[in-house]
Amino acid sequence: MPEGGPRDEDLVRRYLSGDRAAFAALVERHERRVYNLALRMTGREEDARDAAQDAFLTVLRKLSSFRGEAAFSTWLHRVTVNACYDLLRKRQRAPLLDRGDDDLPRVEPPPVPDHADLSDLSIDVQRALMQVPEDFRAVMILHDVHDLPQEEVARVVGVPVGTVKSRLHRGRVALAKAMGADRTSPGGSDAGEREGAAGPSEGTMSP
Amino acid sequence: MTHPEELLAGYVDGTLEHEEHAVVDAHLSGCDRCRDEIELARGARAALVALEDAPVPYGLTDPVLAEAGRRFERRKVVVWERLQWAAGLAAAAALVLVVVLNVGGEQDQDVERASTGATGAVGAPEAAEGATLASGLPPFQGLEEQEGVGYDDQGVESIARDTVRVIAGETAPAQNSALFAAPDEGLACIARSGGPVNDPNTTLVRMIRAEYEGTPAYFAVFAEGPGAEQPASTIVVWIAAEGDCRLLSAASLRF
Repeated sequence: MPEGGPRDEDLVRRYLSGDRAAFAALVERHERRVYNLALRMTGREEDARDAAQDAFLTVLRKLSSFRGEAAFSTWLHRVTVNACYDLLRKRQRAPLLDRGDDDLPRVEPPPVPDHADLSDLSIDVQRALMQVPEDFRAVMILHDVHDLPQEEVARVVGVPVGTVKSRLHRGRVALAKAMGADRTSPGGSDAGEREGAAGPSEGTMSP
Repeated sequence: MTHPEELLAGYVDGTLEHEEHAVVDAHLSGCDRCRDEIELARGARAALVALEDAPVPYGLTDPVLAEAGRRFERRKVVVWERLQWAAGLAAAAALVLVVVLNVGGEQDQDVERASTGATGAVGAPEAAEGATLASGLPPFQGLEEQEGVGYDDQGVESIARDTVRVIAGETAPAQNSALFAAPDEGLACIARSGGPVNDPNTTLVRMIRAEYEGTPAYFAVFAEGPGAEQPASTIVVWIAAEGDCRLLSAASLRF
């Protein structure tokens, strides 16, 4: 992802040997990608900001144990996706704790994106994305939005590439159905006529 | 009918090898379901590819850059190496002072978690909950107010040595004339400075408010061990400035 300039791994090495500016350069280089990955994963600006900040803090804390077995960008993507998982989980838990009732599971409605500048299309896609299970969403965002090859997605997510392929396909189908269901809910369009408009077909959502 | 599910994403992306492509084509000619799915997946992919990056909010990376800056200020970390406690106090004369640069990342803790965990009242802090140290440590009693008392590195060393004596059962915990207060603020400060507040292998045994080389500070005394229910083997004294919680010094004493 860096175009020109020192490699990420060289910046890491420089930071670890005492060059403070090298860390700032790493952060600046990746902030856009980290933030946008978090935005697509969480669906809310506020959450994306929190997740991105958590991810960068994790990177800072663990940088000295980064030994370069994986590419820095692979590791950064993984840390970011994990920060998003953590945040989404926290957000699901919070209302339960407030109610002081552990027995009743509560289905959170997908958050409505609050970005005023997003186009209608983008809002539709984001809303539909939030209805796709996280593991599938992550694979789609990494591959289709951030353009990572399937093999790289597999390294980031830590699953075999075959699993990535099948999650990618199932996720896309679920996303299309969620978008179709969204569109047809008030107005109506032909996409809604397909069987089981929302969600994956035949319960095959497991990897 | 089995469906070539692992090939369908690549088919939509146009990245299949010729033979794989032919396999999918052959399947699609007889499978309505997969044909429908391919069409849906194409629409979804097109929508995702068309998504544009949102602008990065102003100040997004300020916290991490500030934290990186704080870490660079932690130059002065004093480590007392290998006091052979069994050899008695004479060994104290053999203490070696080592100044190391840059606290290693491994012993750094999740500051945010630590500060939210540091809300317990006077008494055992929450960090003790997941402790994997063997018991037998003196109970944490709260924040000791030591007004007008100041420590230098030698004084910090004696705090660590006193703690070792207490753990060894040689002396009682210092509770004579100490004034105890709620440790919350001090704990949060220690956590903010990167202290091992939430480390399961570390138990807070004492916290003091006093001066360190003229700066009002919190002194957190931790017992640290290898985990797995084994006894503590190191005392860590973590010192953070009271005002801005910057790390003033951290010292460890193995015994």
